[in-house]
Amino acid sequence: MRQSGVVTDVRRLGPHDHVCCGFDDRTEFRTAALAFLDAGLGLGHRVWYVGESGDGVHDALTGARPGAVQLVSVATQYAADATVAPNERVETYATATRNALAAGFTGLRVATDVTAMVRTPARLDAFARYEHQADQLMARSPFSAMCAYDRRVLGPDLLTQLATMHPLTTEAASFQLHASGRLDCAAAISGELDLASAELLALALDRAELRPTGGELVLDATELTFIDRRSLAMLAEHARALGATLVLCTDQHVPHRLTQVLAWDNVRIDAAS
Amino acid sequence: MRTGAAAGHVGYYHEALTYASDAELLAVVVPFLSGGVAEGEPTIVALGEQHAELVRAELPPEVAGRVEFHPGGDMYARPASAIRSYREMLAGHTAGGAGQIRIIGELPPAELGATWDWWARYESAINHSYDEFPLWSMCAYDTRVTPAHVLADVARTHPRTARPGDEHAPNADYVVPGEFLGRHTPVALDPLQLTPPAVDLQDPAAAETRAAIARLNERGILSRRQLGDLQLAITEVVTNGLTHGTPPVTVRCWAGADRIVTTVTDRGRGPKDPFAGLQAAAHAPNGGFGLWLAHQLCDHVAMTRDEDGFTLRLISGDPYHRVGEA
Repeated sequence: MRQSGVVTDVRRLGPHDHVCCGFDDRTEFRTAALAFLDAGLGLGHRVWYVGESGDGVHDALTGARPGAVQLVSVATQYAADATVAPNERVETYATATRNALAAGFTGLRVATDVTAMVRTPARLDAFARYEHQADQLMARSPFSAMCAYDRRVLGPDLLTQLATMHPLTTEAASFQLHASGRLDCAAAISGELDLASAELLALALDRAELRPTGGELVLDATELTFIDRRSLAMLAEHARALGATLVLCTDQHVPHRLTQVLAWDNVRIDAAS
Repeated sequence: MRTGAAAGHVGYYHEALTYASDAELLAVVVPFLSGGVAEGEPTIVALGEQHAELVRAELPPEVAGRVEFHPGGDMYARPASAIRSYREMLAGHTAGGAGQIRIIGELPPAELGATWDWWARYESAINHSYDEFPLWSMCAYDTRVTPAHVLADVARTHPRTARPGDEHAPNADYVVPGEFLGRHTPVALDPLQLTPPAVDLQDPAAAETRAAIARLNERGILSRRQLGDLQLAITEVVTNGLTHGTPPVTVRCWAGADRIVTTVTDRGRGPKDPFAGLQAAAHAPNGGFGLWLAHQLCDHVAMTRDEDGFTLRLISGDPYHRVGEA
């Protein structure tokens, strides 16, 4: 199972993990990026630092083999003045992961400060959509990433929006919508959903662009510890708009109870396994 | 087609059966059930085990074989669930072409104590909630063990009383549900409410309330499922209070060895709909929905109005404690 929730030690993340990492200054960023990438080298991954040579990250890392540590210029990955093109970016990382495997590494791990990518509302929206597509790739291949955001620039509300699109985060987030390790699920929803998270949930659902299969929108809700009536109605409505029945895969008591007490014509709760 | 005493009646024919001996009970129930079977009507017994056996033994075998026996205790766990289950059952029989459905039921004896208030509301509300069905039902109360204030409510909530000899007398004290449910008789306190609350929150977020209740339950007062049910109920109620109530909203919790008692108070007057909590959807499209969910998820729900505002009290676990009998 992929890890989800709030993380305090990025050293312990695995080959499919994707973490949203907030920082207050360059030192905090550098420390987190180094820890994350160094742990990747320990797992036998190729690691990419996407940034600048003066950042003091890639040259502080020592790979066991040539090509293990690579500095990738931000400009080649993310044009600083453009809105991200999600499919193109995801394809780049899919290729880079295949190349890493072909070169004998166990996977690809990337760390980068992407604050500049979300400086306008339009760019933030596009980047949040990209985060989910990239997360789907990570769930399916040995590609792990740290997306670092400057708290001073974004502020807590925008940072929370981005945190909800990652399975793991160093920031407070009541819920997270992310790719599931279960390939039969369109996505996973973790944490707690209630009225306080309703606006964020609507945003996250819109940005994740989930696709139903066989008339069902199947969500891995193994780690969904709480959901209220309104949020379940919102998920059901989202599925209905996609022409699908909502299926939550979970053994959590609350969603089972909600559907037992209330009649829902397009919601089903399945056992987690 | 309606038969027996309910012949010609439209809708719900709701009777009390107050008896002082087994003989008196049987003198009403046996002809009632035999008549239903003879007319080919769905004929249902929802009595406690002891009375169900008493009745079964007294019925001719060919009659007993055609009576549906439901365990009364299962049917009467919670008023809102009972209304829901009965409405589903009545709708099924009506759709199946039944001209009349007959039911004799009784509440488990424990429900005539600390939790009677919500059953009194049930007895009143069903005059309306079952009125779309051709139902003739009797609710049995043993006058030897039923408290006087309960019998007074029985007379206020049942339009008629059935007596031996096919007698069906109107109750002079009967009041229509809208009026009875609007009266808001004070509810006896749980003894824990006389002690300082373990949790006292002002305008809390629902998540904060859930977390506080989870911490209270760390010593395992409630099962994980009961805790989840309470968290779901409190989330709906607090969300209602924050969106429909008059601030501030105060949440207080007490933990006993066998229960968690939670109160949610706001400065408003509570739901305008007198049926709130007991029946969903038709009567409670908005704010009342959370109250209805709470009625299905908790072991007791009481509503009080006083000079401080409107207070909803939820008990999860053993709801049968009250001041004076702790």
